[in-house]
Amino acid sequence: MTHGIVTPLTQALAEGKLTRDELKSFMQRSDGPALRRLTLWVLVLAGTTTLIALTWNSWLIWPAMFLQGIVLVHHFSLQHECVHYTVFRTRKLNDIVGQICGLIILLPHRFFRYEHCDHHTHTQLTGQDPEQIPMPKTYGEYLLYLSAIPYWRAKFTEVLRHASGRLSDVEKRFIPKEEHAAVYRDARMMLGIYAVIFVAMALTGWWGLIWYWIIPLFLGEPVMRFIRMTEHVGRPTVAQMSDNTRTNLVSAPWRFLCWNMNYHAEHHYVASVPYHALPRLHEKLRDHIHVEPRGYFGAHLDILRQIREARG
Amino acid sequence: MSGKDWRDVIAVADLEKNWVTRVEVGRRLIAVYDSPSGVYASLALCNHGGADLCDGYFDGHVIECPLHQGAFDVRDGRPVAAPATRPMRVLEARVEDGMVQVRM
Repeated sequence: MTHGIVTPLTQALAEGKLTRDELKSFMQRSDGPALRRLTLWVLVLAGTTTLIALTWNSWLIWPAMFLQGIVLVHHFSLQHECVHYTVFRTRKLNDIVGQICGLIILLPHRFFRYEHCDHHTHTQLTGQDPEQIPMPKTYGEYLLYLSAIPYWRAKFTEVLRHASGRLSDVEKRFIPKEEHAAVYRDARMMLGIYAVIFVAMALTGWWGLIWYWIIPLFLGEPVMRFIRMTEHVGRPTVAQMSDNTRTNLVSAPWRFLCWNMNYHAEHHYVASVPYHALPRLHEKLRDHIHVEPRGYFGAHLDILRQIREARG
Repeated sequence: MSGKDWRDVIAVADLEKNWVTRVEVGRRLIAVYDSPSGVYASLALCNHGGADLCDGYFDGHVIECPLHQGAFDVRDGRPVAAPATRPMRVLEARVEDGMVQVRM
């Protein structure tokens, strides 16, 4: 008998952690919940944008831009869900919204999709997982990562490499040949759109997007780095999904911003489950995965403890 | 003559409604799809990563792989979402006397 490869999902089904009927019910998709959430999302963005406008001539613009930045960098979470086609039932909407998110945070959607698929195949396996964030060996490395400087350096290098028609050896492993040209085109289009935006600002003399978008994005990215670290960093570098991924129990505002991606182990178990069903899936799998009840800060306390212990 | 015979694989009544059903035929694993326009069938394993499509999400005429969400149109096997890039192998299927038959 030919069998599919063993995945966390097949294991969960085989071990009775999940029944086929439950799986089917968790996977059901709908446009409604995401459209409602997206409406609230836009209202939140409008709110933080208004705060910047209201504080324009005051030092308070900096905390206002930081708040805006926290929302902006969470477009990564929405784009991530779109990569999995789990935000909207209408498949095209996932592509459109994902591409808009990618434009906001400098992450071409098609490339991210391929890279992220490889992350799901080789989660937390050193040398194979293209999204693996290495466990910092020192407090300095830890802080450097949180600064987002290495992240931005990597992203700009990546997009420029693709725009110049090149892929790294690692990227060639997970992007099929027939898609190379499309990846190059995406990067060129993205840079082209940025160029048009900057030229338009120069021509009009209105540089508002620097203050509403660019500076907030850079101010907010350390928050996203802080969150991204909690997903796998400090967990064992093994294939076992119940060990290599951390679910963080966080408050409702953070769950809203990250599209429930704090239920990260559940997501890795069954990536086809939409964000709105992850809390229900959590109730089914909570005893079979690693859960950090203290949330993001608890995860970082765990990471810092491991750095301290490794340094002896 | 194509050299292929129609084989009963599952009763229509046993199909998961509007969903994908896993069927073993000899040593082969087959995915049978109950779609709005009728019954379709394909080999069950995704040609990208080898995961079992029968554990995937099925909507309309699109089957989505549970591992990477690559997707195929079950009517002709056409890939409709990355990382699937090659058509999946579809099998001729029909319903006769309450049985799904697949030509193989």
